[in-house]
Amino acid sequence: MTMQRISRRRLSGLSGLSLLGASLSGWLPRLAAQVQQSGQRSGRSCILLWMPGGPSQMETFDPHPGHENGGPTKSIETSVPGIRIAEHLPKLAGQMQDLALIRSMTTKEGDHSRATYYLRTGYLPQGPLTYPALGSLVGRALQREEADLPACISINPFRALSPSAFTAGFLGPAWSPLVVASETSADAEVSFRVRNLKPAARLSGGEVDERLRLLGVLEQSFLADRPDVPGRSHVQSYERAVRMMKSESVEAFELEQEDEVLREAYGRNPFGQGCLLARRLVERGVPFVEVSLSGLTDGAGPGWDTHANNFEAVGDLCGVLDPAWSTLLTDLRQRGLLENTLVVWMGEFGRTPKINENSGRDHWPGSWSAVLGGGGIRGGQVWGAVSDDGLEVRENPVRVPDLMATICRALGLDPAATNLSNIGRPIPLADHGAAAIEQLLV
Amino acid sequence: MLKLVALLMGVCLCQPPQSVVRLSVAEAAAEVDRLFERSWHSAGVRPAALSADEEFVRRLYLDLAGRIPAVSEVRQFLGDVRADKRSVLVESLLDSPAFVRHFTILWRNALIPEAFSDPANRQLVPGFEAWLWSQFSSGVPYDRMVRDLLTVRLDTAADGGAALRAASSPAAFYVIRQQRPENLAAGTSRSFLGVRLDCAQCHDHPFDRWKQGQFWSLAAFYSGLSPLDDEVQMRTSAVERRDSRRISIPDRDQTVEAAFLEGELPDWSTNRSAREVLADWVTSGRNPWFSRMAANRVWALFMGQGIVHPVDDFSENNPASHPEVLQLLADQLVAHDFDLKFLVRTITATRVYQLSSRQTDDSQSDPLHFARASVRGLTPEQLFDSLAEATGYYQPYRTENPFVISAETPRATFLELFRDEGDSPLQKETTILQALAMMNGEFVDAATSLENSQTLSGIVDFPLMTDEERLETLFLAALSRRPSASERAAMLQYVQQSEAAGAALADVFWALLNSSEFMLNH
Repeated sequence: MTMQRISRRRLSGLSGLSLLGASLSGWLPRLAAQVQQSGQRSGRSCILLWMPGGPSQMETFDPHPGHENGGPTKSIETSVPGIRIAEHLPKLAGQMQDLALIRSMTTKEGDHSRATYYLRTGYLPQGPLTYPALGSLVGRALQREEADLPACISINPFRALSPSAFTAGFLGPAWSPLVVASETSADAEVSFRVRNLKPAARLSGGEVDERLRLLGVLEQSFLADRPDVPGRSHVQSYERAVRMMKSESVEAFELEQEDEVLREAYGRNPFGQGCLLARRLVERGVPFVEVSLSGLTDGAGPGWDTHANNFEAVGDLCGVLDPAWSTLLTDLRQRGLLENTLVVWMGEFGRTPKINENSGRDHWPGSWSAVLGGGGIRGGQVWGAVSDDGLEVRENPVRVPDLMATICRALGLDPAATNLSNIGRPIPLADHGAAAIEQLLV
Repeated sequence: MLKLVALLMGVCLCQPPQSVVRLSVAEAAAEVDRLFERSWHSAGVRPAALSADEEFVRRLYLDLAGRIPAVSEVRQFLGDVRADKRSVLVESLLDSPAFVRHFTILWRNALIPEAFSDPANRQLVPGFEAWLWSQFSSGVPYDRMVRDLLTVRLDTAADGGAALRAASSPAAFYVIRQQRPENLAAGTSRSFLGVRLDCAQCHDHPFDRWKQGQFWSLAAFYSGLSPLDDEVQMRTSAVERRDSRRISIPDRDQTVEAAFLEGELPDWSTNRSAREVLADWVTSGRNPWFSRMAANRVWALFMGQGIVHPVDDFSENNPASHPEVLQLLADQLVAHDFDLKFLVRTITATRVYQLSSRQTDDSQSDPLHFARASVRGLTPEQLFDSLAEATGYYQPYRTENPFVISAETPRATFLELFRDEGDSPLQKETTILQALAMMNGEFVDAATSLENSQTLSGIVDFPLMTDEERLETLFLAALSRRPSASERAAMLQYVQQSEAAGAALADVFWALLNSSEFMLNH
């Protein structure tokens, strides 16, 4: 009769009980001490610059001037002789020594929803299996035990194309991304907030602590005889939430602490300031941060989906992307963080090499570009190539699992390491058959 | 034991139906309890005590009405002295619209779990819910309900898409699977037969007996449908070839003929469409997969986990924990003409359902034994409706279709935040954002402020109550029980030492609403 089944997700004991039950004032000083120590972080981090809608390779990292498919876009020199990128990214051109361009991404998925899921999880949507987003996988693998900020933070996500590609899937809600949205004031000041992070203004700090103490009384009597996962997880997430509410690390969100000149350099817009926030979070040990560039304003749609008026629209978006990304690299480098921080740039697919009648480019999964840079990556090179008309990959095709495996390796993770899925099957970080691009790795 | 399981799993469809004695609810429940007692005895398990009335009334409301009971409902039940008051309450809740609504949500989650992951699919949810609502409110037997679903007209070319646009339709089952034969084969076998064929789509199943050919033979019943590659097509030009019965296996130079799961060939002499022939076979009382899967699903809805777990994974490698109980319930479901309420009555009448969730012995810790009531997560709908009940929040709804809710309401915001991709309610986890919303969010804040909360202000301002009675009422509103002696002492001391008793009661109410006891079913 005895059959052993192992709970899929183990939770780290009943630590929450002690925290909620005990006086909160007791552990606050301890946290403060930890924050100071964590100034010298050692672990690796990943920043994903996510481009919803599918950015045009021709107007960014694989321009084809001179061919009719290239359109009016010119190419410019970069800091690495022989590598040329589109004219819209002049500042980034100066950072090419730290970037590796992949010009041979190839998939079969031309639908926003499926492609978004594929690029963000490394797997195609498949029945009941709920794959975790890359950020949850990486966050879980790299999170420090004593961290007081979540392992995966998503800044300004545009989730409508594939909401399930923004969850922790079978890893469970404990690893789901903390979503942070920007707000731009009337005088164009961009700020970020975590929803509901602050108790109502009418409550004093003492009253908040009293409430938590009363909650601790209830939790103790309920959980003592019911040591099951849902209750333990409940207390654990309250503990994490309270820890964050009280933590000095949340000052990461206070961008006004930064130098005005630096804020200006990132760009006074949601994406630019989001990249600055990403640096501040990575600096405080958050293992995965993603910043989405969906459009030029708060909450804008998937701006890279340029079916019409492609050249102007991509030019405008690059006007935001170029200073933000290049300043991010400089900033990370100056703080000694770049060698441990992988920066990834990608969308769900590229755009048709042929220009349509609306001066637009449509969905194109067959041959497009993605970029890796910083920690773990040997910069200053191009991997893969497409034909002159841009329609086919000519060299070194890179499939999504290969890209995922390369990202894992750059972060010091084994792409074959597995997590147990919701249907009881072990699932590797990168799909079976994935091959990391060795030439791009340090 | 394993032999018995293998025997039960191996029941062949060609076998004549065994004669099953039709049992009453009380007889079936007693038999289930007898089987459990025997299994506990042989496994050395000491089951938990019977639940107290307070524990039972909350659980039953959550399981049948989808929300916690109101203070008055708790008081009424606790004050009821009739010996059969538990089954009386079951009957009265089964007759309530709340039961129809709650079962609608549970079966929507079961049948179209992927509906929320794609924005285009979400539009289909209200129509699917309205269809389920009509089935449950008119008491349609389960086999007929599934038959309706499997045979719904999908010819948009013929009717201009009227069926798909209908305010009430099970079409979402097909649309979220893109009307692809392979997805529908996997979905049908998983949802209604409890067989996970998905793996066999691309290759013979690595651990099970299913072969790729069997998978595609099932898919062949759906071969007349045109896959929906874009929305326009779905609305206007999906043509169904009703007599299509062959399908080719992708990437293999092979076509297969429609055949049932175990390889039997259908009788095509009746001039029925392929889907009708499939529906006849799936929903037959002689199809043991069908009745066992249904019984297992209903069991899991009430017990937190199936006798086969996961609920839709019947296979030789995943034996049932209590195969005789499952077979009994499946047989009785057939004997009672697929009346799901019969199963609900039986399960809720068992001692095993009515056990306390309080663990009193280590042997109760493995959920596989069902030796104490499980602690399970709520659906987002259960959680919000319980919050509304506890705090006295009035929920406006649209009369033309109560399932269409505007995105701006507190309810919609909550459902979105608490929507869970997760699998088992026994593994339910809370996110940080959910915790923050409960602790600091606008809705709970209003519910715990003296100015805005119906429940709280009613209790605080009522002149004839002592602080102790106020405390007790808050406990009843949130947790459906009175405080324990130690809780009473701790909370009362806090209230009486505070300068403003009202604000202190608000703090207590906040703590109650944020507790795992409030946010879970147990």
